[in-house]
Amino acid sequence: MRQKYIGKALPQLDSFHKVTGIAKYTHDISLPGMLHVKLVTSTEPHAEIINIDASEALKIPGVVAVLTGKDFPYRLGIYVGDRDVLAIDKVNWVGHPVAAVVAETMEAAEKAIDLVEVDYKPLKPVFDPFEALKEEAPIIHPKLGEYRRAPAFTPVPGTNIANKFTLRKGDVEKGFKEADVVVENRFYMPFVSHCYMETQSVVAHYHKDGTIEIWTSAQSPFAVRNLMGLSLGIPIGKIIIYQPFVGGGFGGKAGLHWEPLAALISKKVGYKPVKLKLSRKEQFTSAPVREGFHAEVKVGAKRNGKLTALKAKFILDSGAFADYTVNVSRAAGYSVGEVYDIPNVYCDSLAVYTNKVPTTAMRGFGHPESAWAVERSIEMLANELKMDPLKLRLMNVVKAGISTTVTGERLREDAGNPVQCLEAVAKAINWGKTEEKPKEPWKFIGKGLAVFSKGPAQPPNAASAAIIKINEDVTVDLMVGTGNFGQGTLTSLAQIVADELGVPVEKVRIRTMRSTDTVAYTWQTVGSRGLFTDGNAVLEALKDAKKQIKEVASQVLRVKPADLEIKDGKVMVKGRPWENVPLSDIVMGYTYPNGNSIGGPIIGRGKYISPINTYLDPETGQGIPTIFYTFGAAACKVEVDVLTGKVKVLEAAQAFDLGKAINPLLVRQQVEGGFIMGLSVALFEEIQFDERGWVLNPNFSTYWVARAADIPSKIDTIPVENPQKDAPYGARGIGEVVMLGVPPTIANAVQNAIGVNINNLPLTPENVWKAIKKQRPELVEEIKKKLVSWKWKV
Amino acid sequence: MKMPRKITFTVNGVKKQVEVKDNELLADVLRDKLQLTGVKQACWRGECGLCTVLLNGKPVKSCLILAVEANGAEIVTSEGLMEGDKLSHLQKSFVENGALQCGFCTPAFTLVTHYLLTQKPDASEEEIREYISGLICRCGTYNEIVKAVKQASQYYKK
Amino acid sequence: MSFGAPYISIPEFQYLKPKTLKEALETLSKYEDEAKVLAGGVGLLNLMKERLVEPEYVVDIKGIPELRKVTYEEGKGLTIGATVTLSELENNEIVERKYTALHEAIKVLSDPVLRNRSTLVGNVCEAFAWMDSLSPLLVFDAELKALSVNGERMIKAKDFIIGLAETALEPNELVASIFLPEPPKNSASKFIKFRSRSEFSVINVASLLANRDNPPERILRLAYGGATPSPVRVFAVEKVFKQQKPLNELLKEALDVVFKEVSPMEDMHASKEYREHLMETLTIKIIRELWGE
Ligand SMILES: Cc1cc2nc3c(=O)[nH]c(=O)nc-3n(C[C@@H](O)[C@@H](O)[C@@H](O)COP(=O)(O)OP(=O)(O)OC[C@H]3O[C@@H](n4cnc5c(N)ncnc54)[C@H](O)[C@@H]3O)c2cc1C
Ligand code: FES
Ligand code: FES
Repeated sequence: MRQKYIGKALPQLDSFHKVTGIAKYTHDISLPGMLHVKLVTSTEPHAEIINIDASEALKIPGVVAVLTGKDFPYRLGIYVGDRDVLAIDKVNWVGHPVAAVVAETMEAAEKAIDLVEVDYKPLKPVFDPFEALKEEAPIIHPKLGEYRRAPAFTPVPGTNIANKFTLRKGDVEKGFKEADVVVENRFYMPFVSHCYMETQSVVAHYHKDGTIEIWTSAQSPFAVRNLMGLSLGIPIGKIIIYQPFVGGGFGGKAGLHWEPLAALISKKVGYKPVKLKLSRKEQFTSAPVREGFHAEVKVGAKRNGKLTALKAKFILDSGAFADYTVNVSRAAGYSVGEVYDIPNVYCDSLAVYTNKVPTTAMRGFGHPESAWAVERSIEMLANELKMDPLKLRLMNVVKAGISTTVTGERLREDAGNPVQCLEAVAKAINWGKTEEKPKEPWKFIGKGLAVFSKGPAQPPNAASAAIIKINEDVTVDLMVGTGNFGQGTLTSLAQIVADELGVPVEKVRIRTMRSTDTVAYTWQTVGSRGLFTDGNAVLEALKDAKKQIKEVASQVLRVKPADLEIKDGKVMVKGRPWENVPLSDIVMGYTYPNGNSIGGPIIGRGKYISPINTYLDPETGQGIPTIFYTFGAAACKVEVDVLTGKVKVLEAAQAFDLGKAINPLLVRQQVEGGFIMGLSVALFEEIQFDERGWVLNPNFSTYWVARAADIPSKIDTIPVENPQKDAPYGARGIGEVVMLGVPPTIANAVQNAIGVNINNLPLTPENVWKAIKKQRPELVEEIKKKLVSWKWKV
Repeated sequence: MKMPRKITFTVNGVKKQVEVKDNELLADVLRDKLQLTGVKQACWRGECGLCTVLLNGKPVKSCLILAVEANGAEIVTSEGLMEGDKLSHLQKSFVENGALQCGFCTPAFTLVTHYLLTQKPDASEEEIREYISGLICRCGTYNEIVKAVKQASQYYKK
Repeated sequence: MSFGAPYISIPEFQYLKPKTLKEALETLSKYEDEAKVLAGGVGLLNLMKERLVEPEYVVDIKGIPELRKVTYEEGKGLTIGATVTLSELENNEIVERKYTALHEAIKVLSDPVLRNRSTLVGNVCEAFAWMDSLSPLLVFDAELKALSVNGERMIKAKDFIIGLAETALEPNELVASIFLPEPPKNSASKFIKFRSRSEFSVINVASLLANRDNPPERILRLAYGGATPSPVRVFAVEKVFKQQKPLNELLKEALDVVFKEVSPMEDMHASKEYREHLMETLTIKIIRELWGE
C-alpha cells in the first residue's frame, strides 16, 4: 500500500467550519419553543436544606417552573455514584445547585434565581482533606455505602474516604535499607479549572413517546447515554445523544454532567426543549474541576544513582463529589514512578471528600500529579547525589523488553524508549552548555528536564467499534465514536482510510454533528485512547470492506482475491494494473452487461477490545492497567527574576515515543498545546478559596490562563518513532502526556537557576519570591544591593 | 416591560433591521437573532475576547456593547471575512498552519489579526503576540496563529 | 473586590443617547442616582452584569461632539475629552512624548481590543484600586472638569478618588475632560506595572523627574496604584529629593517616607509583605531608571 496521506501534515478536515465560524457547537443549538434553565446555587459550604420557597420567583413573567432536588431522586456517576441532579436534603459546597429555574428567556431566569429563598441549617464544614480524615470530621456522604460503584473502587462508608488505592511492589523497607541516599519531601498542587473555552452546555428534548434527544458539549456521547440510562433507569434505546462541535474538553467533559438534569426538566415542563448553558463563574464553582493534590514522597538510591525504593502517600482533595476522581486516585497511585525501573515501590493513594467544588478527570488523569511529586523528588535526589539529573534519569528509566513496571508488568519489547526522548530534549536545549548570564544581576538562567509516561486509564473492557460505509461515488463514511474537541483524531483516521482504500482524503467523510444513532460505539473519548482503540477498529473495518470489494472484483476479473490490490480508485490485478475495475462499479454491487448483478453495498465493520488488560489486584495494585505507555520527556530554559520572583520560560522542547506520527501537524498541535497548558498550570493557575469555601477568582481576570505573550516562541516537538505492533501503524496516543511533565520541568529549571526548591504549585512570583527568601535570604539581600548600585543606561 | 426598538446596522455588508430591547447585548443579538455563530462567548465579561467583532472597522468585544449602541454601525464577523464562499488568505493561512484545534476561539483570532494586518502588515512577532493578548485559546494554538499571521501578511502589503 | 456573579444578561433599563452636552446634563440632573453615564461601557456593563450597579437610565455620551476631542496647547497642557478611547491616546504623539508615564500605562492597560472601546475618563471614574491610569495622572497634576446643570468645576486628580470605587462626582455631574498641565521643563516620566497572575496591577508606580543635576530645582514625583484602596501620590518624598546628597542616600530617605505614608494592603492577589517588597523594589527601579547614568 502506498502511504500518500499517512505521515503527512494535513490540517483538520473540519477546519473550514471552524475558521469561518459556521461550525455549530452546543452553545449554538436552539430549538423552536426552547426554554432556558438557570441554576440556584448554595451559599453554604455544608448545610441541611430546610425549605425552598420559589413563590416569588414564579411570579416573574416568563418563568415556567422552579425545580428542586425533591423532583429528582437520583444518584449519578461513572465510578462511584455520589452525585445528585440537584442537591437532595443537603448541600455539600458553595455552588452546589439546589434549584433550577426554567423560563422563556435567560433574562427572566436570571431575575428569578435571586428570588428563590433557600433556608439552610448550617452543618460543620471541612475544607482540609487531612481534617476530613480525622475521626471527628463531619461526614459529607453519610450514605456512601449505598451508592452504586464500579468494581475497581473501594469507598469506605462512615468516613470521607471515596477511594483507597494501594500499590505494593517488592519490599520498600528493604529497599530503603539498601539505599545510600534517601530524600523525602512534601508536594502540593492546587485545584485548577479545565477552562475549555466552550462552557458546559446541553439542550434536551424529552418527547411524549419517551424518546429523549440530547445535544451536549460532552466528550463521550456513548458514556452519556449509558450512564444516563443506568442512573435514571431509562432504557438506553430511548436515548439519542448528539455531539455537535465541542469547544474543548481536556477531561472535564468526560462521563456524565448536566444531561440528566436537562432531560428531566424537559419532561417536567411538559415535554418542551430546554437549554442549560453555564456561565464562566458557574463553570468555576458549580461544575467539577481538577482536584487538589497533596503528596509525601520518599526515594532511595545507591551512591551511583541506582534507585532502590520509592514510597509515596497521595491525598487527593476531591471536593464534594469524587465520582470520577476515585479513578484519578487510582491512576495517580499506579503511575507513581512508572517510567523508572524501581524494584521496591509502595503507594497509598486516597481520594477524600471535602466541602469544596467537586472534582473530575483532567488531561493527564493522575499522572501530572504523580509526575510532579516524582520528578521533583528525582531532581532533589540528583542534587543530593551531586549527579547530573539527566544522567540519573537515563540510568533509571525503564527499558522495553527488560524492565518490570511498578504494577509488575514485564514491559513489552515494542513499548517505546524513554532514553531516546530524554536525549532528544537534552540536545534541543543544549543541556550541559552554560548559558550567558543576563545583564541584569537579578536575573538567572536555568535549565530543567523531566521524563514521564502515560497510558489510557480505562476499564479493561473498554471497547470500540468502527463502520466504513462506501457510497455510490466512492466517498467513504467513516463512522467511529471517538469525538473531536480539538485533537483531530478523526482526521488521522481519515488519512488511514484514504490510504487503505486508495481514495483521496477529501472523499472520506467525517461527521461534524455526531450521534449515538449514526456512529459506531466507543466507550469514551478520554485517556488518549482514540487513535489506538478506534484506530484498531477502523483497520479491522477496512480489512472487512476490502475483503468484500475484492471478493466481487475477483469474480469480475477472474483472479483470486489475494491477487488483487486497491489503488487510485480501482481494484487491479497485482502486476497487471491495466486489468482493473473501478471501485464505483463495485461498491453498490457489480452489474454485468446483461443486467445480472453480484455483491451489493459495501459496509465494513471492525471492533477493538483489549485482550491484555486486567483489573489491578485490590491489595497490591499489580496487574496490567493499560494498553500502551507513551513515554516522553520535556526540557526547558527559564529566566528567574529574583527581585520579583517572576519566572519566564524562554524555550522548551518535548519528545514523545508516539510510535508513528500519522499526522505531524496534529502531533505538533498537541505537543505545543499541552506544553502551554502545562506552563499555565505551573506558573499561574489556582482556584483560590476563602475560609468559608467560596471561590475568590471565578473569572479570567483573576484566574489567569496563559496567553500569547506568556509563552516562548520556541516549543520544539520531537517525535520518536518506535512503533508498537498492535497499534494502528504503530501509533500510540499523545493527547495527555504532552502536558503532564511540564510543571516539574519548569520547577527543575528554577532550581537549576537559583538553587531553590519549590514543591508547591503554582510558581507565582510571590510563591517563588517567598521560597527564595526562605531558602536563600543572602541572595535576596545581595540582589537588593545590586539594584541600588546598578547603572541604568537611558 | 420596556418596549423594544428597531435598530439598523450593516452586518457583513448587508443592511439589517432588528428589534432589540435596550438591555440586549450586541453579542447576543448577533448570535441569537442573526445566527452569526462565529461570535462566541466564553466569559461574558470582556476577558476572553471570543465575542470580538469589527465595529466600524475596529475589533471590539461585543459582550460589553449594547446592541442599541451599534445602531447605524458597520459590523463584520468572521463569516464576513470570507471572500464569497472561499476562505480569505488569512483564514486559509490559519487552516494550513494548524492555527486551530477545537476551533472555538478561531473566528475571534482571525478578526483581530485581520485588523492588525490592515494597520500594520509588517507587524513583528512581538507585536502580534501583544495584539492578540486580549484573547484566550485554551487549546494553545498561539504559536501557530503567529505563524499564520506572518504567512498571510504578504497579502496585506500594498 | 471580588467579581463572581453568575449572570450573563443585564437587567432592564432605559437607554438614552443625548446629542448635546446640555441635554446630557439635564438628563443627569433629572434622574440623578438612577442614571449612569455610559462611555466605553467596558466598566459599566461589567458592573451591571455583576449586579453591582442597577441603573434605571443609561446615558450614552458618545453622541456628544465636544467630548470627542483631544487638544494640546504648547506651554499650557493637554485636554482629553470624555469619549476619547485609550487606543486613540496610545496613537497620540503628544501623549507619547510629553506624558510618557501615561502612555506607558495605557499600553499595558487591559488589552488592545478592549482599549479600542474604553476611555481614559471611564477608567478614572471606575476608580478601583488597581486602575492603571491614576498614578500617572497623579504625577502629572491632572485635573478633571466636572459639569452639571449648575456649572463647571475642576477637581484635582488627587481629590477625585475618595474611596474604593468612589469618586468626588455628584450624581448629576459628568466628567467632560481631563486636563494635564504642561509637564515641568526637562522632565521625563515612567510607569511600571507589576502583574502577578491576574489582569490587574498588584502594584503600579509612576514617577516624574526633572532637573536631576540641580537639587534645589530638582523635581521628583511618585505615585502608586494597587497598593492601597485608592491610588496615592506621595508628596512628602518630593522634599527629600531637593537635597544635595548621593542618590543612594536619597533613595533610602525616600523609601522611609514612602513607607511612613503608605501602608500596602493584603488581598487575594498579594500579601502585605510581598506588596511592601515590590513597592520598595519598584520604587528603586523606577527612580534608578529615570535617573540614568
Ligand atoms: C478584562 C478586563 C481587563 C481590564 N484590565 C484593566 C487593567 O489592566 N488596568 C486598568 O486600569 N483597568 C482595567 N480594566 C478596567 C477598564 O477597562 C475600565 O476601567 C475602563 O474600560 C472603563 O472605561 P469605559 O470607557 O469603558 O467606561 P464605562 O464602562 O463607560 O464607565 C465606567 C464607569 O465610569 C462612569 N463614567 C464613564 N464616563 C464618565 C463620565 N464622563 N462622567 C462620569 N462618569 C463616567 C460610568 O458611569 C461607569 O460607572 C479591565 C477591564 C476588563 C473588563
Ligand atoms: S465573551 Fe466577550 S470577551 Fe469573553
Ligand atoms: S482552538 Fe480551542 S480554544 Fe483555541
